[in-house]
Amino acid sequence: MRKIIATLINEFRLFRKDLAGVALLFLMPLVLTIIMALIQDAPFREYQDIRFDVLWVNKDNGRLAEKMKDGLMSIPQFRLVSSYENKPLDEIKARELVQSGTFKIAIIVPEGITAEVVNSANQVANDMGKRLGAAGKLPERETRSANLEIYFDPVTKQAMKLSLLNALDKQLTKVQAEMIMGRLSDRMNSAGGDSSPSPEFDLQQKMQAVSIKEFSADRQSKVNLNTNSVQHNVPAWAIFGLFFIIIPIAGNTIREREEGSLMRIRLIPGSYFSILFGRLSFYVLLGVAQFYGMLLAGWAILPKLGLPHLYMGQAPLTLLVTAMVIAITATAYGVCIGALFQTPNQALPFGAISIVILSAIGGIWVPVEILPAGLQQLAKVSPLHWALDAINTIFLRNGGLPAVWTNLAILLGFSAVFVTIAGLVESGRQQ
Amino acid sequence: MLAISQLYKTYRQASEPSLSGLTIDFPGNIIAGLLGPNGAGKTTTISILCGLVKADSGSVKVLGYDIAEDKEEIKKRIGVVPQSIALYPTLTVTENLEYIGKLYGLTNAAIRQKTGRYLHLFGLEKSAHKAIRHFSGGMKRRANIIAALLHEPRLLILDEPTAGVDVQSRNMILQFLKEYHGQGHSILYTSHLLEEAQQLCNEIAIIDHGKLVVKGNPAELMEKNQCSSLEQVFLHLTGYTVRD
Repeated sequence: MRKIIATLINEFRLFRKDLAGVALLFLMPLVLTIIMALIQDAPFREYQDIRFDVLWVNKDNGRLAEKMKDGLMSIPQFRLVSSYENKPLDEIKARELVQSGTFKIAIIVPEGITAEVVNSANQVANDMGKRLGAAGKLPERETRSANLEIYFDPVTKQAMKLSLLNALDKQLTKVQAEMIMGRLSDRMNSAGGDSSPSPEFDLQQKMQAVSIKEFSADRQSKVNLNTNSVQHNVPAWAIFGLFFIIIPIAGNTIREREEGSLMRIRLIPGSYFSILFGRLSFYVLLGVAQFYGMLLAGWAILPKLGLPHLYMGQAPLTLLVTAMVIAITATAYGVCIGALFQTPNQALPFGAISIVILSAIGGIWVPVEILPAGLQQLAKVSPLHWALDAINTIFLRNGGLPAVWTNLAILLGFSAVFVTIAGLVESGRQQ
Repeated sequence: MLAISQLYKTYRQASEPSLSGLTIDFPGNIIAGLLGPNGAGKTTTISILCGLVKADSGSVKVLGYDIAEDKEEIKKRIGVVPQSIALYPTLTVTENLEYIGKLYGLTNAAIRQKTGRYLHLFGLEKSAHKAIRHFSGGMKRRANIIAALLHEPRLLILDEPTAGVDVQSRNMILQFLKEYHGQGHSILYTSHLLEEAQQLCNEIAIIDHGKLVVKGNPAELMEKNQCSSLEQVFLHLTGYTVRD
């Protein structure tokens, strides 16, 4: 125990001598986390609470266009824009504004589209009336094709396009259904039956008899949280920053070997394990401190920059254990890199770039869920993936230790592999 | 003090063996010199004695303990001064010695007392709180020796302790080694400075190509080989060819 404490103190002294290194180790990940959370705020909000300005050109002026307009305006994500620079928008101007990227989306309602929907509704009403034996017929003609025209800025993301198209499709279907019901009602009425809707008959209400409502899968959860830029970026880049602890570990390991201080330690009686344990403990504590520093930034600094504050789940002890296991894995990886390479010039670029690669495939940059299927499988070879998944389980799924133990076991498995490789390489080097 | 018998060692990926049946016996409490040209096997022998490297075969007894069975007991009783400055360059000499002392299990009081004594003895007390990286070559060598002395080893092993140091530092080191031996401790010493070895050592073993070439006290060796200096004996026995 005395050796472990002595080594912890010694590592602290060594670390303290390089104040610039200490500052960089803490400050750089902090700056990275804040910048990434700010930059990625907009892409994350795109799918949530961001509002789209949609250019709206109505050449039809019929009921369909009015109902569609009312329907779209009732959706919080859309803000319809009918004029630009105090002038009513026309089709040419709307297309020009989209093409130039000033606006992302334009909807052109062509002339005669309401007439086409009415004609279609009359056809349906006549057909149904005939089947029901009703006399008379509503005016109808042959169907002509009519399209609601939509223009997207070429840089618009596919997900955003799909979101808008789905909303429009839903509105169009609803308006068409309402018109068909209305025409059918007229048809039955003209046939002499009392088929007019009763005053209390609310078509809108009837059509919403079955609706969709989102619930939290975790029924016991007090908080139902969706991911956002802060919830993704803060833990993701905190893990990324924590893994960068491999740079001082690998650098110090190689320097100790080169300078001879490692030899001095190996000449001392007693198990080298206790000295190694003391050294690793220091870096684990450092990693945990760094990780909590990043989380603190998400909780305290980011809200001051206009972002939501970081929600850290309901299992603080599990979070601490998870942070320690992640730090153990990062430290073990640093020891492995330090053992594998002969010089800092070999180890440091490899270490840094390997962290960037492991973070990319591990879902640090973008959530694994939106990666291609093959990359989702590849993510499993990255310890950063398991680390981030564990943190997401604690933060977003309100999970405790039983929910993350598999992740922790896998991370400890990675650690064991890294330390074993380091041990084999070091013992081979001495022979 | 030291008994080496039929020691063999070939490093992985090495084309030639480093030790090829080395056998040396240094009995009693002496200052022994292990000499040889570059690549003779001196550092490998010392590394095996210290337990840093495992021999392929052969037996080694240090202070009566077998290296294969009692490595830890040997480590407790020996102090090693490696060729490189095996200290943390960014830490002060006091911080280095404090850490090493704690790893040897010394109490804080003992560490303070020994550190103060040896820093004074080696003329480093004024630089006690100076980082090793700011030391001169001679100061680093002296600090390197102190690090091996804190636990008062019965056998002090030094691998070229005076390489690259100024005359005053070398004199101080050699004086200390004589005094330390006078206090009942044994010393095993390697050097390329044969005049120094001639002055210091009671017994000398010259090795080459991983084998013992000759062993004896310096005066006997010079007489036997009809040479006026140990350097002449060395060249006579190991040849004039430059070694890499």
